[in-house]
Parts: sequence; C-alpha cells; structure tokens
Amino acid sequence: MTTELDPLIHVPTRLRIVATLAALPDGDALSFTRLQDMLALTPGNLIIQLRKLEDAGYISSTKTRNGSSQKTMLALTGQGRAALGAYTRALRDLLGGLDGDGRAVAADRS
Amino acid sequence: MDHIPDTAGTTEGGGFDPRQAAALLDQATTQARRTFTPLTPLLWIFRALVALVVFGGFWLSVRGQHPYAGRLSGWAIGVAVVLVVINIGWSAAVIMHAGDGVSGPAQRKWRAWLGVMAAAWIIAYVVTAPLYHATASHPVWGLYPGSAPLLIIGLAAAATAAAFRYWPMVGTTAAFAVVAATAGFGGPVGEWLITGIGLCAVCLGTAAFTAWRQNRSVVRP
Repeated sequence: MTTELDPLIHVPTRLRIVATLAALPDGDALSFTRLQDMLALTPGNLIIQLRKLEDAGYISSTKTRNGSSQKTMLALTGQGRAALGAYTRALRDLLGGLDGDGRAVAADRS
Repeated sequence: MDHIPDTAGTTEGGGFDPRQAAALLDQATTQARRTFTPLTPLLWIFRALVALVVFGGFWLSVRGQHPYAGRLSGWAIGVAVVLVVINIGWSAAVIMHAGDGVSGPAQRKWRAWLGVMAAAWIIAYVVTAPLYHATASHPVWGLYPGSAPLLIIGLAAAATAAAFRYWPMVGTTAAFAVVAATAGFGGPVGEWLITGIGLCAVCLGTAAFTAWRQNRSVVRP
C-alpha cells in the first residue's frame, strides 16, 4: 500500500496544475495563457511551478512562434499521469485511515 | 468548503493535510472537466426542450389534417427555425470556448467528428426538399421527414463516434436512431410526438450522465 504523497505534487498550486492538465485527453496540450486564466495565477508564479514540474518530467512544454507572438503549449507526460495516479491512490489510502476528525483510525476497533 | 492555503513557493506543502489535498484535487478536476466539456449538461437540457417544443409543435400542426398532407403550419416552422438557430449558436459558442487554447490529436479528432456530423445533418434534411418537390406519395412524405433524417443521422453519428471511441456519444446517438425507428411506427402524425418525447428523454439522460461524469470524485470513486 502506497501512503507517501509525492512532495512535488503535494503543493496546492502544482496539484491544481497537474489536475487541470490531467483533465485533457492523453496527448492534448493547453496554452500557457488559458491555464493561467483557469487557475487565476500570476505569470511569474505559474512559470516557477511549471519549471519544477517540467524538471521532474511531469509536464512537457512546446513553444511555437506565429509571426511576432510566441505561444507555449503545456501537456502532462505519461510520467506525470502516472505520478498523479499514484498520488491519488496514496490520498485514498491516507483518507481511508483517518476518521471524521482527521485522527488516525486504529487498525483493530475491537 | 474549507479554505485551502496556497503554500506554493513558501512552505512547499507544509500544513496541507490530505483532506484538503483531496478536496482541492476534486475541485480542480471538476472545474477542468466543466471547462473542457464541449457539450454541457445545460446545453443538453436546452436541446431536450427544443426537441419537445419543435416536434410537439409539428405534431400539433398536423394532427387535424384529414387526409394527411404533411403541411406544417407557419408558426411551428417559425418556432423551430428560431430554436434551431439558437441551438446552433449556443453549441458553437460552448464548443469554441471548450477548445480555446487546446490543441492535439484528440482536439483534431473532435473537430473532424463535428464536421462529419454537420455534413450528415445537412445531407439527411436536404433530401426532404426534392421529395416534396417530386410530390412523393403520402406514406413517403408522411414518414420521411419525421423519422428518416434522424435515423440516418443517429446511425452515422453512432458509427463515427464508435470509430473515434466517444463511447458516451455512441450511446446518445444510437438512442436517437432507436427513437427515430420507433417513431416510424406511430404513423405520419404520431411520429412527430413520439420523436419529440423520445429525443427529449435521450437529451435529459445525456445531461444527467454528463453532469455525473463532471462531478464524480477522483479520490472517492
């Protein structure tokens, strides 16, 4: 049973980024500006978090140039999807072991 | 909902407990699903009403005809045109909004599917004009407009949706074809009412299923 939460994903902003990109079909990418609008983040904050996720191989970014404007497209990698899946399973395991007040539930209730 | 602190860049997740993380994961996933879903539950509910009003209006306008001539009244056609135009405009707006800033193979496949569907709708309904012009017999003219286009569209949509692996859409469009095939047994007058009620039920079912898919928990399946 995996109960260790991936510290790279277990940060509110990065969790929102990964969850948002995971909602897209496999292989599809989202533009930086749309992601920024959806999460209501400043460009600086978003760039910092994206860099950490990209360094870990969880997301990939592609830059395309159209005339004078540049567009950055972001996608969750297979590794990123697997990491989110493992994170979700770990959350389930942890929540299954907590009672309503968040205290650890004893394995033997008798 | 509990306040979820944004600890990014400061404490790196310190004080972010699993329950908050689960709530945030569900919240972010639901928001993203709603944003990226091109055909929203609200749009399906509107389509259910459109089907009921349009086909119900056609039924009201032909039910007193003896013998059946298939002539729809002007008000029924007018209401249908207005509602269909609103439906097309609303659908186009939500589809464009959902796809804004998104690119990739799935997005291209979805656009291709929409193109196939637009062609199927146009071809299926355009055929009714030459039928009317050729003064087709009452059984043909009576049954074709109410059932046949929908049967053609439903089967074409189900087949292409299956090829593209849009399984929920296969269910919806196959149900359209079943409604159309069943409506044919209602005769030239009754088919309009059966089609209206049947399509309304299918659209409402699709709305409920879409809402369930959008809101289901990731953490607590």
